[in-house]
Amino acid sequence: MAKEKKLSAEPARSATCERPSTFAQFKTLLVKDLKQEFRTKDMVVSMGIYAVLVIVVYGVALSFAKPGAEFLEVSGGLLWALVVFTSLLGLNRSFSHESENGCMEGLLLAPLDRGAVFLAKMFSNLVFLLLVEVIAVPLFWLFFSSYATPADTAWLMVVPLLVGSIGIAGIGTLLSTITTRTRGKDVLLALLFVPVVFPLLYACVSATTAVLVGGDVVAETLRISLVLAAGYDVIMILASWILYEFVVSA
Amino acid sequence: MGKGKGKALKLPEVGQWPDKIFPIVAVVGIVLTTLGFLMAFFYVPPVAGAAVDGVELIGGMMVTNKLLISQKIFFFHMPVAIVSFVALGFACYYAVRFLMTREWRYDTCSCVAVEIALVFVIATMVTGEMWTRFEWGVWWTWEPRLTTYLVLMLIVIAYFVLRAAVDEPERRGVFSAVVAIIATIDVPICFAITRLIPSSIHPVVLREGGMSPEMGMCVGIIAVGMFCIGFALYRARFNQVRLTERVESLKESLED
Repeated sequence: MAKEKKLSAEPARSATCERPSTFAQFKTLLVKDLKQEFRTKDMVVSMGIYAVLVIVVYGVALSFAKPGAEFLEVSGGLLWALVVFTSLLGLNRSFSHESENGCMEGLLLAPLDRGAVFLAKMFSNLVFLLLVEVIAVPLFWLFFSSYATPADTAWLMVVPLLVGSIGIAGIGTLLSTITTRTRGKDVLLALLFVPVVFPLLYACVSATTAVLVGGDVVAETLRISLVLAAGYDVIMILASWILYEFVVSA
Repeated sequence: MGKGKGKALKLPEVGQWPDKIFPIVAVVGIVLTTLGFLMAFFYVPPVAGAAVDGVELIGGMMVTNKLLISQKIFFFHMPVAIVSFVALGFACYYAVRFLMTREWRYDTCSCVAVEIALVFVIATMVTGEMWTRFEWGVWWTWEPRLTTYLVLMLIVIAYFVLRAAVDEPERRGVFSAVVAIIATIDVPICFAITRLIPSSIHPVVLREGGMSPEMGMCVGIIAVGMFCIGFALYRARFNQVRLTERVESLKESLED
């Protein structure tokens, strides 16, 4: 789009026109996704409702257990199950706009850097996921506050949530680009996404549980888990970034 | 699987030198694994197995740990696990080659290598389950190695589901190559993460400190045998798939 603007600004003066920088391409694509979401509110609303419904199901599941302090040990895992399923829903839909009306073809016809396409899609997925988390995580604690009070370090939960969401958005964008053009896309995305994201999930659940339970082992566990989760993020996002070019043009 | 990697132009094809040796390699593999199997039972002395609380009378002897026969599973389990991961490594190598050259032959190689990996992963899981049951007394525990192999098995199965779900050959080739690469990156990370994070919930399972020379030799013999079997299986399957492809393309050219 930046390119079109440039072209219309100086149509006949010169045949060569400057290629917009990769950052400009990235920004244009990201703004396009965010604008579309802001107008339709399609994805955030459906993900948010889904998250609330998962919390309701948790409520039923736990209603006869009446857990006490041990709830804290489980809650990190429950929270991440909520995040994984909600993000699966969002990732499934993130490319449905593009495959409708041939948007994907248009995007590929434009002389864009494929890496910029990946990063823009990843960031928009990340923004939606974080938006949903901002609503869903406090709601989770509101509904289950009667079971147990988390330790004082609970606010540190923000860090694993952020690190985990970045990884989920990164690898999820690659996998949803693959599965959106296959038969049985929803099931296939889950089938690929859950095993691939397993290590990240493991590290994030460990970190989240550590900050919720508190105690003297918090710092050690949190540090190892976060370093490993961040390592996963870096490796997987780099791999996805490199491989995206092949996937998107196939 | 050991085809001329240096010669980039020479594509893997039916009738190249591996085909001359693979029946022999298969026989060698069968002999070596059988030999190793017999060695595991008759030559290698049993090592310290599961610990017993205090001292107990087992088989007329006062022992502090059980000398379980189930430890023999290990001689089969570990080589199979190594071969399955090596097969996945080859799948990744051919997937990279495919993405670089877009030669269909590499896609076939990659797919066949993942098939072999699946065979060996399933063998690993089955022997691993038996080990878990008899050595640790449970059917499943979320121990790093078990978890990693579960994840690996799920990704490999997803790979085949993906292949079945894409109709266009080019798309199928690219997508499955990407998934093969991601799987190969993901599995070591998975092992590292499940291993390094201290778990307060699950007991840390201690394994015997090292292998005695006899054990090492036995495991080595079976590992070599398993590599041979894996190679022979790979080559046989590659020939089958490749010949089918050639028959199909001949049929098409005859129709035209």
